[in-house]
Amino acid sequence: MTATLPSATDIPPASVSSPAGWIARVRQGGFAYLLLLPTVGMLTIFTLYPLLQGLFMAFYKRGVVVAERVPSSWPKFVGLDNFATLARDPEFLATLLKTIGFVVVAVPLLTVTSLALALLLKPVFRSVGFVRAVVFFPKMVSLLIIGIIWKWMFGYNSGVVNYALSLIDIAPVPWIEHDVMAQIAVVVVWVWANAGFYMMILIAGLGAIPDDLYEAAAIDAATPWRAFVRITLPLLKPTLALVVLLSSVEAFKVYELVVSLTAGGPGRSTVYLIQLIYETAFTKPNQAGVAAAQSLVLFVMLLVLSVAQLRFQKGRA
Amino acid sequence: MVMARYVRLPCVALVLILFITPPLWLLFSALKPATEIFAWPPSLWPHQPTLENFVRAWSQDNFARFFMNSTFVSTISAALSVVTAVMAGYALSKFRFPGETFFFLLIMSALMIPLQIILIPIFLVLRDLHLLNSLWGVILAPAATPTGVFIMRQYIRGIPDSLLEAARMDGTSEWRILWRIIVPLSIPAIATLTAFTFVDRWNDYLWSFLIINDRSQWTVQLALASNVGQWDINWPRLLSMSVLSVVPTGLLFVSLQRFFMSGLLAGATKE
Repeated sequence: MTATLPSATDIPPASVSSPAGWIARVRQGGFAYLLLLPTVGMLTIFTLYPLLQGLFMAFYKRGVVVAERVPSSWPKFVGLDNFATLARDPEFLATLLKTIGFVVVAVPLLTVTSLALALLLKPVFRSVGFVRAVVFFPKMVSLLIIGIIWKWMFGYNSGVVNYALSLIDIAPVPWIEHDVMAQIAVVVVWVWANAGFYMMILIAGLGAIPDDLYEAAAIDAATPWRAFVRITLPLLKPTLALVVLLSSVEAFKVYELVVSLTAGGPGRSTVYLIQLIYETAFTKPNQAGVAAAQSLVLFVMLLVLSVAQLRFQKGRA
Repeated sequence: MVMARYVRLPCVALVLILFITPPLWLLFSALKPATEIFAWPPSLWPHQPTLENFVRAWSQDNFARFFMNSTFVSTISAALSVVTAVMAGYALSKFRFPGETFFFLLIMSALMIPLQIILIPIFLVLRDLHLLNSLWGVILAPAATPTGVFIMRQYIRGIPDSLLEAARMDGTSEWRILWRIIVPLSIPAIATLTAFTFVDRWNDYLWSFLIINDRSQWTVQLALASNVGQWDINWPRLLSMSVLSVVPTGLLFVSLQRFFMSGLLAGATKE
């Protein structure tokens, strides 16, 4: 991505060596700076500065809002205490593990589902466009509403899912009333909501595989399974990796769906990291520093994924 | 890969059922009168379809107000987002100036900082700017998007330099070049980006949740969250509110479907 960008090093050396040339270039670029101002300004105020402030906050004990009349909310430097607190906090550790568990279960399931959908809907047949659109549609709906739809369908006594199961003589399932079932329900609905988007990415990836490879395989009388393992999978690897990385970042941030589907329950069984960070910061007194430390842990995990993605795409380019 | 017709057809049918049933079930449930909505055994098709739930949700619960708030936020935010992205994209694709790489990396680095990890500091920034509890806070805070800048930069790069040079020779001002040459030639990218940003803003929950407290400033997503969070959920109302909330993005998707599904791909895979 950055490799193709014309950079400052492309400037002829003569103009770099003389200060006058440099000033002339800055002046020439004046309009460009003006064009960049709104974007850079807003990103600085609403993203980069808050990130820095968040980094500092993780080393202080303080309230979210520092009130002059409430001494206990005043920022106090505590070094690494907040991180030590996290390392001993059973709720944080359990939530962290649960979130990682969600990612580890949901992402592979999503990848396999999207791949199966892509293989099924890649060939052009009558009304394939309609089927693809139907599968993609959940991406246009907020996760909050997706959660509402499924909460309605997962109802224990009056839900349509348990009704459908009763038709084939299966006893009602407590989809969102039982802790493990609720965790499974969140995974299933999350995969349902996102599969269409990643399916389209994989269909594009499949489209980039040359047809003559399959023709050659057919001439060699290779079975479809063999063609899939030997041709499709290896050539689709970059796209699959992209799907895994993009969806992992999304999975770590799972929250809106849970708000409506389970509200974190039953008990605290479907509370994931984002909800815990929010609650720590805004519902517990003077725990803003601890919440900032929790955010930092999540940030580091997301950063590793982002860097992996960048390195990977650079390697592909 | 070749797959036999008699294998594919049932698979496609199954996929279709799995993905079309939930939205249809939502729509048909909302069309049922209160007596029928909990009927057992349930039937997909409403026997006595009625708009009563919608009328009630729209008029009684101030939902019209929340709908207007969401429309306001999504429209202004999408416009602002696209205008700033076109400007920055133009700067990063057609100008060479000291600090070009620095600014590009600065903007792209914001991609790695999701809102979710800066909840507290951003709350404080908005408080200091007196943007808490204001729709302008929801509009301004997420308005600059690195993805938008990246998409516009990639697109504007494809516009031939000779066009800009010719205009400069004629003494056209830089602003005129932007609005009269760059913008008209970038309409496809601008339209895609506008549609996406609108959908994104319309569906946003977390920003509004963080910023808005006052009921009169609620967006539809906040109203929905409040209704689903009640101990005793009023399902007829909640379901009809959900349907109403999907109407704008649903219509946008139906009318621009092809374009949504391909444009999104270009953005996502290039990123």
